[in-house]
Amino acid sequence: MLDLAIIGGGPAGVAAGVYAARKKIKTALITDAFGGQSVVSDEIQNFVGLKSVSGLALAQMMEWHLRAQEGIEIVFPDRAAKIEKTAAGFSVATESGKKIETLAVLWTAGSRRRELGGPGEAEFEGRGVAYCSTCDAPVFKGKAVAVVGGGNSGLEAAVDLFPYASRVYLVIRGEDPRGDPLTLEKIKANPNAEIIASAEILSISGDNFVSGLRYRDKKIGEEKELPVGGVFVEIGSVPNVNPVKELVEINAAGEIAVDHRTQKTSLEGIWAAGDATDVLYKQNNISMGDAVKAVLNVYDWLKRRQKS
Amino acid sequence: MVKIYTTPTCVYCKMAKDFFAKNNIKFEEHNVAEDDRAREEMIAKSHQLGVPVIDVDGEIVVGFNRPEIQRLLKI
Repeated sequence: MLDLAIIGGGPAGVAAGVYAARKKIKTALITDAFGGQSVVSDEIQNFVGLKSVSGLALAQMMEWHLRAQEGIEIVFPDRAAKIEKTAAGFSVATESGKKIETLAVLWTAGSRRRELGGPGEAEFEGRGVAYCSTCDAPVFKGKAVAVVGGGNSGLEAAVDLFPYASRVYLVIRGEDPRGDPLTLEKIKANPNAEIIASAEILSISGDNFVSGLRYRDKKIGEEKELPVGGVFVEIGSVPNVNPVKELVEINAAGEIAVDHRTQKTSLEGIWAAGDATDVLYKQNNISMGDAVKAVLNVYDWLKRRQKS
Repeated sequence: MVKIYTTPTCVYCKMAKDFFAKNNIKFEEHNVAEDDRAREEMIAKSHQLGVPVIDVDGEIVVGFNRPEIQRLLKI
């Protein structure tokens, strides 16, 4: 029987693992990857203590830091498939078929990209529908491309495409992109870029590869089609909560509701930290701090249990 | 013969190359951001537009699919 199972290997999971090991809490950490979502980031400039670092380098440093700890069991590559309440605590079943019995669970499984969900998206994934502009932008050389989403990741994807795409359409739901003004200025200054506002995406079409994106112009109520060879979908993220969603309170946004002093969820014995929670700001630095809070609270909780 | 089609800013390409290096697998890299012919070749082989594409003796793997690559390389 373990004291703690940490689910996830992003910034929150790794920070929790390091603190748990140093507190000599009997811990297993289950993850299929290290570093979290910013692993695909070309350059991170706000990770405190490092002026500039690539997402991959940061992920490796996190993994090394975790693996340098004594006494923590790292279950990798694996994922939590199901978590059940037991008489003594919790039973975590992993996708590879392991069963882990534990007193406490710290859920740090983060979030995943949000999909459009309309016709054509799944069918054309990889064949024009793309989700990683830093990876795939150069493959769209000479093609007209649409980026869907007006937040920071949408604006950044548009800028990533500028050196390669013949034309970039930034397609947004609202009237103005919500992302950083600095990036938006770059887009407005580029003659090959066009912002298409008040658009409701209808479908993605094509033959072998994507050839068009259909949308409704909500202002005039008319359907239109953009002739594009690529559609980059950058519309935010969805918290990963499936294995715990029947156990703990989830808010309307699909996030785990936590007590922000302790990171406790609504169910005794389960804590959560990072992007899967209702934390207001989703940031590497914040996820780490919240996970540390959680582990220190788990430590106090375990101590109290021993005494009683 | 292992070929990998990459772009310079693709982190999964770097992961794949690190994985090859760690396992002493020799590979030939084609940067599709620069090399138009390699890009066309990659699209023709994989029927898709994402990197990395890994060609292990004619078997095509899309993405850094570690278990699949391990199976093909028997490591």
